[in-house]
Amino acid sequence: MEALGQILSLDFLLRNSVYTSILVGFACPLVGVLLVMRRLVFMGVALPQISSTGVAVALSLPLWLGFDLTDHGSQSAHMLAFVGSTMFSITAILVLAFLERRGRGHPEGRLGTAYVVAAALSILLLSKNPYGEAGWLDMLKGEIVTISNFDLLLTAGTLALVLAVLGVFHKEFLLVSFDRDMAITLRKNVVFWDVLLYLLIGLTVSMAVLSVGPLIAFGFLLIPALTAHLFARNMRQFTMLASLNGGVAALLGFWIAYQYDLPVGPTDVVLLGGIYTTGWAAARLPAALSWGSRNAL
Amino acid sequence: MNEALITLDNLSIGYNSRPVLSGISLSIARDSFTAILGANGSGKSTLLKTLLGLLSPVAGRIETATPSGAPLVFGYVPQATQFDPIYLLTGFEVALMGTYGRVGAGRFVPPVERSFTRECLGAAGAEELAQKRFAELSGGQRQRVLIARALATRPDVLVLDEPTAGVDTTTTHAVMEFISKTRKERKITVLLVTHDIEVVRSHARQVLWLHQGKWLYGTADELLGAERMADILEMVIS
Repeated sequence: MEALGQILSLDFLLRNSVYTSILVGFACPLVGVLLVMRRLVFMGVALPQISSTGVAVALSLPLWLGFDLTDHGSQSAHMLAFVGSTMFSITAILVLAFLERRGRGHPEGRLGTAYVVAAALSILLLSKNPYGEAGWLDMLKGEIVTISNFDLLLTAGTLALVLAVLGVFHKEFLLVSFDRDMAITLRKNVVFWDVLLYLLIGLTVSMAVLSVGPLIAFGFLLIPALTAHLFARNMRQFTMLASLNGGVAALLGFWIAYQYDLPVGPTDVVLLGGIYTTGWAAARLPAALSWGSRNAL
Repeated sequence: MNEALITLDNLSIGYNSRPVLSGISLSIARDSFTAILGANGSGKSTLLKTLLGLLSPVAGRIETATPSGAPLVFGYVPQATQFDPIYLLTGFEVALMGTYGRVGAGRFVPPVERSFTRECLGAAGAEELAQKRFAELSGGQRQRVLIARALATRPDVLVLDEPTAGVDTTTTHAVMEFISKTRKERKITVLLVTHDIEVVRSHARQVLWLHQGKWLYGTADELLGAERMADILEMVIS
């Protein structure tokens, strides 16, 4: 408990990392709920990786053009990475969603290829980049350690914007996702709502990747939503449980990592996996017990 | 005969510019009950989707005429099996979607529309399904919720895509009786896609019969007499 007190104190050295982790933990599952409902789970795997390739490309660009990024401070590097990450994730989600809607080819194959090529490309680019050694490789592995006030504000601002738009247009996103044909007969501009939703997903993914890395971004996007779906009875419970699960797991994960000197990102994801497995077993326990008692008679 | 609500003018329908059915010219009257009959792959659903604006016509035109000049409002009842059970929506939440056409983007559904949705659920005999999860309802129960949703759009035309597919005989009878009653009470035009000739005989006034790239349009009495049906099937086979 002493460690928890330290983490939550205002003069804790890594407080920005704690706040960012919790922000991502609360916000990502709300977008993840939409990914799960639209059966875009594989997209949730591939997008963070593609987004991190955007970071790698953006950070390699000055090197290829002969600029020295260290002269311009960490904020310039962060903004550059944000732009690269956002551009890659938004372009990827729009292209992949368009191809999926056309219904041709093998969507799983496309997403798998995109994931593995993006992962390999990120490593290749960063291995040839001196900034990679200075912390970016750690970020891509999920080491949430050095987060400046500027990074925290950018993360909070972007996630607040995404959540506000998702909240305001909740009924439009739900209608277009649940029954596209009905939305068209009601004269809703389904392409506009699809593109807006994909932009929000892309923005969240790129922000999460930039803040906590692709591994944790993927973990927080999907696992809390899948866990919440086991217990929720309606859409409101689904979104609230998913967000709560993500936020609490982020705090607990940071606490455990700090207590036992573990990397935060992987600790968060393993914890989320543990919660999901326990939840899955608990949700099936009543059925298993009644099956057992029936067979015993 | 009432005035024409929908007029198809030399309409060709199909996918990717390839026609499935061509040269359809007919008028559907206001307050009429038209059944679209035909085997699998005959183009029934393609025609329905084209009328609803989900597909563009390959050629020809669809003209609609409402008294106010406003665009026609379709209350669409799709097949109940097409919905993904992952959505944790109640019967009420599904029916409420019918009102979304009148509620601006980003606005809350006002209480008056919520109470109208409850009325529609009541009219469709689905009041007790309002708080139940839609994905856990039986085929007939889902159909009732979807009919309530279509009514909540305040439709000019109720469009039903095989509403009794996979539904038992008693429920089929109840659903079709309800649709006929609603049409009379609310002066709604009904377009019904079905395989079920008995349902068509009992409820439809007009029949559009699609088969192997050909179409026939007439009254149910004209087209569904035993001798006439035998002629049509023989003509199509020959």
